[in-house]
Amino acid sequence: MTSAEDSPMGGTDPQSTHQIQVKFTTRHPEIAVPTAPILVPANLKRYGLSQIINHLLDTSTATPFEFLINGSFLRTSIEKYLSDNGLSSESVLTLEYVRAILPPKFQAAFQHDDWVSSVSVEGENRRILSGSYDGIVRVWNESAQCLYTGVGHTDAVKTTKWMSATKIVSAGMDRGLRIWEVDGEYIGEISEVSALAEFVGHRSTVEKISVDSSSGRVLSAGMDSLVGLWTTNISEAPKAPKEAPVPKAKRRKESSAGPPRYGSLRMLEGHTSPVSGVAFDPKDSTVGYSVSWDHTIRTWDLATCSLADSRTTQHPLLSVCVLPTLSLLACGSSARHITLHDPRVSASTVTTSTLRGHTNAVVALSPNKNSEWQMVSASHDGTLRIWDVRATESGSIWTIKREGEGLSGKEKVFDVEWSSLGIVSGGEDKRVQIDESPKGE
Amino acid sequence: MYPEIDPVYDSDDTDVEEANTIGNIPLEFYDEYPHIGYDINGKKLMRPAKGAALDALLDSIEVPKGWTGMTDRNTGGDLMLTQEELEMVRKIQMGEVPVDGYDPYAPMVEYFTSKTEVMPLSAAPEPKRRFIPSKHEAKRVMKIVKAIREGRIVPNKPKEEEPQFYDIWADDAPSRPDHIMNIPAPKLPPPTHDESYNPPAEYLPTKDEKKAWEELDPEDRDKDYLPRKYSALRLVPGYDGFVRERFERCLDLYLAPRVRRNKLNIDPESLLPKLPSPQELKPFPTTTATIYRGHEGKVRTLGIDPSGVWLATGGDDGTVRIWEVLTGREVWKVKLGEDESVNTVKWRPGREAGILAAAAGDDVYLIMPPIFDHETEAAGKEVLSVGWGYAEVVKKNSLKKEPPAKWSKPSDKLAEVGVAAIVTVRISVKHISWHRRGDYFATVSPEGQNRAVAIHQLSKHQSQSPFRKSKGIVQRVEFHPFRPILFVATQRYIRVYDLAKQELTKTLQPGSRWISSFDVHSGGDNLIVGSYDKRLLWHDLDLSTKPYRTLRYHQKAIRSVKYHQGGLPLFCSASDDGTVQVFHGKVFGDLMENALIVPLKVLRGHVVKQALGVLDVEWHPRECWLFSAGADGTARLWN
Repeated sequence: MTSAEDSPMGGTDPQSTHQIQVKFTTRHPEIAVPTAPILVPANLKRYGLSQIINHLLDTSTATPFEFLINGSFLRTSIEKYLSDNGLSSESVLTLEYVRAILPPKFQAAFQHDDWVSSVSVEGENRRILSGSYDGIVRVWNESAQCLYTGVGHTDAVKTTKWMSATKIVSAGMDRGLRIWEVDGEYIGEISEVSALAEFVGHRSTVEKISVDSSSGRVLSAGMDSLVGLWTTNISEAPKAPKEAPVPKAKRRKESSAGPPRYGSLRMLEGHTSPVSGVAFDPKDSTVGYSVSWDHTIRTWDLATCSLADSRTTQHPLLSVCVLPTLSLLACGSSARHITLHDPRVSASTVTTSTLRGHTNAVVALSPNKNSEWQMVSASHDGTLRIWDVRATESGSIWTIKREGEGLSGKEKVFDVEWSSLGIVSGGEDKRVQIDESPKGE
Repeated sequence: MYPEIDPVYDSDDTDVEEANTIGNIPLEFYDEYPHIGYDINGKKLMRPAKGAALDALLDSIEVPKGWTGMTDRNTGGDLMLTQEELEMVRKIQMGEVPVDGYDPYAPMVEYFTSKTEVMPLSAAPEPKRRFIPSKHEAKRVMKIVKAIREGRIVPNKPKEEEPQFYDIWADDAPSRPDHIMNIPAPKLPPPTHDESYNPPAEYLPTKDEKKAWEELDPEDRDKDYLPRKYSALRLVPGYDGFVRERFERCLDLYLAPRVRRNKLNIDPESLLPKLPSPQELKPFPTTTATIYRGHEGKVRTLGIDPSGVWLATGGDDGTVRIWEVLTGREVWKVKLGEDESVNTVKWRPGREAGILAAAAGDDVYLIMPPIFDHETEAAGKEVLSVGWGYAEVVKKNSLKKEPPAKWSKPSDKLAEVGVAAIVTVRISVKHISWHRRGDYFATVSPEGQNRAVAIHQLSKHQSQSPFRKSKGIVQRVEFHPFRPILFVATQRYIRVYDLAKQELTKTLQPGSRWISSFDVHSGGDNLIVGSYDKRLLWHDLDLSTKPYRTLRYHQKAIRSVKYHQGGLPLFCSASDDGTVQVFHGKVFGDLMENALIVPLKVLRGHVVKQALGVLDVEWHPRECWLFSAGADGTARLWN
């Protein structure tokens, strides 16, 4: 950290005759440096610039930084970047710097009997919830011990979520949502829990659910192109609709012994194709978003149960997540990319930017709770990818592959959550995989 | 010979009329009458009395002097010639002057020529030009003088001496005027020593060389001749190859005439029709998104349910499997036949009841897979069971001929897994096509002769075969998307039947040898036909019975063709070469505008097994997702 950072001051290096003015900015006040333009050699790359920032900050340990220019990371020297983009070297170049994130490390994998369709992480007790195609909901602790199993779904579980520290909501191909209570102390062996209640109303597979812990509401996305709004407060829940004479006595047996059945608060109609993703707005729990195979993103006013807005995109959408501070919706599509949308009615453009890199449908998205600009996506191409929405042109920052013996590398990933435990994902390889949250921001 | 004329008043007889006035008509007309004509006054001219037959005989024996054998038409008597007349005839015959006393050698009387007249006939003086030099001559002389001065005429030019030796090939190819059509002949090399009649000894071939030359084929010899030696030019025989060489030369000119070809200076790219770039025609499927693994053996057929969520496949292992479309998860399966493969699966149209028709062997199974909710299941049960009662009533009442298929309830084992009814057609069923309302479906049994096509009604559990006579081996049938029209494809033709009027309205002739499959556009006016001879044919029913466009892009037989029925202008073809080809096929509402067809993408991924590639394709009902069933035991989703 001597020559590279001395050269802008002293100009001792005879090669670096060419210098350009740069201005360093950042969105993190704790690592801010003076914004006055300074002269740096044009042949500096990320590493050299990072050293300059460290020098300016005068930190004891060097922190690696990444530099953003016009929505992409600087991967070459400044000189080359300027010549490639036809920019003038006379004007002041504004470089935004962020802490570089290091590659995520594989931590653990929990083996299941069947494909893992969904994962969810509870931060307080550091427990991991997984739903599997064998119809069982499992709760794990960090040390790969299965604490609870929830048996009751008559078909594959496709989605699970923690409602609170002890309450679970799950749903799947048997068209019903179930809530489970995992309250008891862990006694050293697997304890089987049964569902508190079953919610019926969907006419086909429930693909995704989203929960709002404060109000106890659940949104569900059904393949029957309906969005269900449910409440987990059993006292509020309406009775289950009278069912038509059930055709098969056999199937009846299972469900008759099951938990009490309740109905939905409202089934929201509007989509014309299977709904594939739902999300509550984190800021306002009366706003919900849903995406569907019919290419639309719909905004629902849950107070009046009415459709507030509908946006049509280019491709069938398969997943959605909200980037709360940016007021952006990230939507994964079957056309192998993630699009960022501004759901507000005032927004003029439908798509603000597109993140490309996956080679198959993007089926799950999860934002980083610690960094408003980062998120992780899971795709049927068997990878997780970490994205920074500030650098939409640069592609993904890191790619996480499935770890394990005898995998072809094509095993689909079905769900991912970026939590305090790390990046938790589940997929066709019958495992829940935990990767350490990448260090950095 | 006319008599001497005595020039008196009466001597002029020019106005004497002919005695007979009958004119120039044959005298035989009067043979039967006593007269031979009429005189000027209209009196009959009587025939002169003829002698007796004996007189005639005597006359004929003793010919009188001057007898001619002719009849004088004026008198009707014999025409006799006088002695003078006979003499004249003789003289003419001998080429003598016929007149008596004419001397052809009489001395010539000279009137003008030999005597010089003392007095000239004209008194005009001699003209002046007789005394002055000729201007014309002076002109001609001056011309010559001028030529001499200019050097065009060189007087007393020494005669050019011809060289003693000269190059006889110097002007061998006389230079013709430079013209675009003149192609000069290639210049031959001058002859060498061994072509001489008297070559030096070292040029003569040895015996071995001679033998080797003779053994070679004439076209393999490097020289056409063998050097020979003659001591004198006069001993050189005639050239023995002359006729053959002339013949070959003519043959060359005839078979390979030198022609200057006009090169067309046109960019071949500009001749191709302008097609939009595939990039502008997005979306269309490009990559494999999901692979459905599980079937043992080939996947024969697949079908996507009307809601677009479940994919049904049928294969050689006799199973029907249902898959979650995106994840590729097998959610349900049933084994229909022990050793029979499932030839076709088709979902009943309409979302209200999830009914799947699957054909294995002779049987069509109507299945309600237990993947739907209770309401849908109840609706499906209702649709399928309403016919049992009706069928019972009909069975009791009618003693008519045997229906083409028998409806029966499945065994308990099959009923348990979801099979609701079995239709036994008794002939192996290869294809099923549903009517859009979902009450009728048609089955095709290619081996069934006149019973190849059977139409089954769900609500009455009845079957009928619409055709009395076999029109060929039926390959496929399809219903028109909204009119009561049935398309029946035999090996060569597609016949269009109006079901309301019960008549044949049109016969399409795709021109292929063996149709494998066809599909009707959702607009109903266009058809695509795939054939085992690698051709994909687009028919416009409004244009003609011949194909509008023929596409030959596959290397092997086409197994299946499909239109996108959900509003996207796409169609595809699946082939035994393991590829699925996707095309843009836009049909315009304007009748004047023909369909626009653009090849978009070749989808490769299926492995060819036992010379079979992709056996069936199906489009998602709404999205640009394509499903394909391969002989490699997998089905694939492309998007």
